[in-house]
Order: sequence, then C-alpha cells, then structure tokens
Amino acid sequence: MIHRNLRLVLGAFTALTLSLAVRAADKELNLFAWSEYIPQAVLDGFTKETGIKVNYETFASGEEMLAKMLAGGTIYDLIQPPDYIAEALIKNNLLLPLDYKKLPGFKNLLPQFTRMPHDPEQKYTVPYMASTVGIVVNTEKVKQPIAGIVDLFSPKNKGRIVVVDDGRELVTAALYVLGYPLNEITPKNLKETRPLLAKWFKLIKLFDSDSPKTALLNGDVDLGLVWGGEAALLWQENKKFAYVLPKEGAHQFVDILAIPKGAKHSAAAHAFIDYILRPNVSATISKEFPYTNPNGEARKLLTPEQLANPASYPKDPRKLDTFRHLGDTGALIDELVTDLKNSN
Amino acid sequence: MQPLALPERENLHGRRPRLWGWLLLTPLVLWLFAFVVVPMGVVVVYSFCQRDDLGRVVFSFSWENYARVFEPIYLRILGRSVGFAALTTVLCIAIGFPVAWYIARRSERARNRLLLLVMVPFWTSFLIRTYAWIAILKDEGLLNGLLQYAHLISAPLPLLYTPGAVVVGLVYAYLPFMILPIYASAEKVDNALVEAAYDLGAGPIRAFSEVIVPLTWPGIAAGILLVFVPAIGMFAITDLMGGAQVPMIGNVIQNQFFRARNWPFGAALGVVFTLLFVVAYAWVQRRSSRTP
Repeated sequence: MIHRNLRLVLGAFTALTLSLAVRAADKELNLFAWSEYIPQAVLDGFTKETGIKVNYETFASGEEMLAKMLAGGTIYDLIQPPDYIAEALIKNNLLLPLDYKKLPGFKNLLPQFTRMPHDPEQKYTVPYMASTVGIVVNTEKVKQPIAGIVDLFSPKNKGRIVVVDDGRELVTAALYVLGYPLNEITPKNLKETRPLLAKWFKLIKLFDSDSPKTALLNGDVDLGLVWGGEAALLWQENKKFAYVLPKEGAHQFVDILAIPKGAKHSAAAHAFIDYILRPNVSATISKEFPYTNPNGEARKLLTPEQLANPASYPKDPRKLDTFRHLGDTGALIDELVTDLKNSN
Repeated sequence: MQPLALPERENLHGRRPRLWGWLLLTPLVLWLFAFVVVPMGVVVVYSFCQRDDLGRVVFSFSWENYARVFEPIYLRILGRSVGFAALTTVLCIAIGFPVAWYIARRSERARNRLLLLVMVPFWTSFLIRTYAWIAILKDEGLLNGLLQYAHLISAPLPLLYTPGAVVVGLVYAYLPFMILPIYASAEKVDNALVEAAYDLGAGPIRAFSEVIVPLTWPGIAAGILLVFVPAIGMFAITDLMGGAQVPMIGNVIQNQFFRARNWPFGAALGVVFTLLFVVAYAWVQRRSSRTP
C-alpha cells in the first residue's frame, strides 16, 4: 500500500516536472533587441495575449549584438540586427529559415521592404523598422541653405556640428562626396577619403551615436549628421529642426527580426514576429519611435502629422542605398577613424 | 602601501600554522584565481590569436596584434592617455593634499563631518554625476548662464566637449581617491614633529618638503596608484565630456570589443596596459621603500 502510494506520488511528480518543462519551452522568449526601440506596451500586450514571457535584453549597436551573440553566453530566440549584420549572419549560416505558415501578417509589408539585398530570397528576415541617415538643421540658427554633405561640413559651421560616432557612416559620407559607391570600401578608396575626413573632423564638435538629438536640443550644436529616427523625434519636439537627405547620396538601413540557429523557442519567436506584423501593433511602435514603418497596413493607421514627418517619411524620389556586409575592410575603417581623431 | 611581508611571529596555533594560514587564505586565493588569474590568462591567449570575417576569435598563433600595438598611432594614444592621467594625478594632489591635511588637523567631530562631505558624491551613480557636469558646462548651461548674468562674458564660452572638460571630469571623479589615503597618513602625523622642524630652523618650505611630505608619502603613493592607473583607462568621461573627439586608450580598447570586433587586438592592448600598471606599481613601491 505504502509502496503504491509512493509510486503514485512519484508518478504525479514526474508528470508535473514534465509539464512544467513543456510549459517553460512554450511560454518563454529570449529577445535580444536595440534599446529604446520596442515599446513596453507591445511586450506587455504580447504576453497578455499569448502567455509567453518575454526576456528583453538590449544592445546599443549592431556590432555589440554580434559580439555578444557569437560569444554565446545566452541562447537567444529572436534577434533584431541591422540589415548588413543580418547579411553576415546569413552568409555564415547562423539563422533559421522562417516558417511563413506561422506568419500570416507578412502580407502587410510593403513590397520594397521584402527581398532586400541582405536577404534576396526573403528566407530569414522580417523588417522591423527602417530609417535613413541624414542632415538635421536648426533653421533658427542656420540661415544658409544646407542641401548636402559638402554644405554641412562648410568651415562656416565649425564647432556647431554633431555626427554619429560611427566610422562607417562617416566614411560613407566621404565616399558619396567623392562619387564612389558606398559599399566599395577598398584601401585605395579609404586613402582618398582621408584628407576629406581630416578636414571635417576639425569642424565637428561632438561624436555621439547614442543620442545625437540631445546636443541639438540643448543648443550646443546647430547641425548634425544623425539617424533619421533621432531627427524625427527632434521634428516632433520642434518644427525648427529640418531634415535633409544629402544630395550627394543617401542610404537607408533596415532593422530586421530573425531567429538564430539553436533557438529553443522558435514557435514563440514566430508568434512574436507575427504579433509585430499586425497593423495596430506596428502603429503603436511608430507612435513611440517614429522610424520609417515598412508595414503598409500600419501606415494607413498613422495620423497625417506622423506621415508628414520629413525624417520618418522623406519625400525623396531617389532609390536609397543600403549597407552591405564588409569583410576585413571593416577593421580598416576603425583604424582610419581612430587615427584621424587622434591627429586632430 | 607597504610590500606584503608576513612578520615572523610566535606560532599561536599549535603545530601546523601554515596549514591554518592557508585555510584562512583559501577564499582569497580562490577568488583571485577565478577572477584575476583565469581572465588574465584568457586575455593573454586571445592576444596571440586572430579574428575571422565575423569577428570570432580564431586560435592560430600570431604576433601581429602586438606589432600593431606599437604602431605610432596607438603609441601616441597611449602617450596622450598617460599625459591626461598624469595631469589628473598632479591636479588631484595639488587640490587634495591641502584638503586632506586641513581635515586631518581638525577636531575629531569636525573631521568626521568633513570626511562625510568627501564621501557624499559616492551616494549617487558616477554616470549621473557626469551628466550633471554636462548640465553645468554646456553652452546654455549653469556656468555660462551665471557668467553671462554677471556680464563677465557676452557670448557663451565653449566649455563642454573640450580637453579641459575631460580633465575637469577626471579630477572630479578621482579626487576622493586622493584625499582619503592622504588623510589617513596625515592624521597620524604628530604636530610636535612639524614644530620641531621649525624649532630647528627649517622654514615653511623645508618643513613641508622634508618632514610633512615624507611622513605622508605612503598616503600620497596610494593616492597616485588609485588615481593614475584608473584614469589612464577611463573611457566614459572622454566620450561624454570630451565629445569622443580625442580617443584615449580606454576608448580604443572598448572599440575593439564592440564596434571593431577585433578581440585579439583589444586583448593585446589590454595586456600592454596591464604591464604598464605593473611598472607604475613597481616604481611607486621603490619610491616608498627608499623614503623612510
């Protein structure tokens, strides 16, 4: 009798552990994403509806994401890299192909945001938000017209400029001015950008990737080469902050959602991606973070004011370039920028 | 800071003092092994490796990273970092010594109150205090506002995002680490010794340099180590208050681990940096063992 009871208890215990394990597998999502990019309301809404708990870990740059992901401490179920990092991950066979049966909301995306250069077969990635990189001008302080990079880095603007602290963006601006394609980063081209960048670096007051808008809002600088999302927030704050896509050339980056190989909760990851693809959810994100929304159905829910934001939805007929993955030449950029800052 | 030397003493714990001593030391030894020796070993191994296309560490031996560390651009950055750290240390001594001496000469109640004031900044996060400096130094900030209100200047002075702002930030951050050890030494100095110096005909300068400085040297030496070494590697202040215009060695190392994703090169810089610390430490030790 005692023996039977014990067996019963043991059996119940085993069943309980098993069911707990299964529950944990289904009801958890390890998300690794940019800081300041996914509203808490969206995470809460997802958990409330599905019962899946989201562990949201953040990074501040695509490179940081890559470093932490490859170091392998945590196994992430869903990551949010920029397009050129996603391309590197695809090339190295580190992403899981998506199961489109679980993503009915995929059809909401605008066609220009699918089959992009980083994922030409549209197998691994879903765009989250996109943004351009452009010039912000405080039109109350700056009276001369600013149409491009050369106007921005005019000696008249010495000590009044903030730029993103990102070597590749600065080198890209120089390549545009010299008339080279932005992804042709060769030792020869870099050498040609050097004198130009050296001249510009003497005019720059502040390098800041995290929050370039702060110095503009504080009035410490009047012009900037910044992320479109930052410019959009500035425009929301005060219409004096105009946004210009440089006439020499302009590019856009897309942050994507993807599932790394080895993810333990890929079903939960698919559920999260599909939740983001819902028009109302996507519109909620746009309200808090005014980047370029790739979701056509969501755009229909935005206010005319949101759609009129020149930094979120630039009225520019040009086709925008995108960054491609660089192999070893990435190190050359870092060395060039370090060297130039050093000899300033 | 005295070199670690265990005094030869009467054995108080029976026949196996060494075993007992080691037992007491075990937690410390384990801690040092797990959090100093092992990570440092990893850094040394990485510094001889290479990276692949994605920035992953590839275990194939190479001297390349060390060759790069000694390229002129990185030597110049290291030189500048040492220069900034040295200036910070000198300013900290210049400001901190009189403060520490003054506090040490007060009554016990006053001493405790004044020491509390030195500690107060630690109650707030270092980053928040640095942002407070940004609010003070920015073009439309408190200091420029005050100067303009007093009609001392007509247009705001560019204070923030300059090398001067970096030095202000560094001195501000590290000053307590200079004051506290000097205070600890100064408190023990017997006033009679200073008076004796005067009685024997020493002027104020001689009394200071030949009596007060030697007696407080252990505190000054500890302060130098506590300020100089961390100040070389500091990167947050140069980014936030210097506008990331001029790189310090700390910024370069940080960049290798994130933006440039060149861990082996970052590790090589770290190893060289650690050796520099050892040299600085040995130098200060020699100075303090020479002075009685």
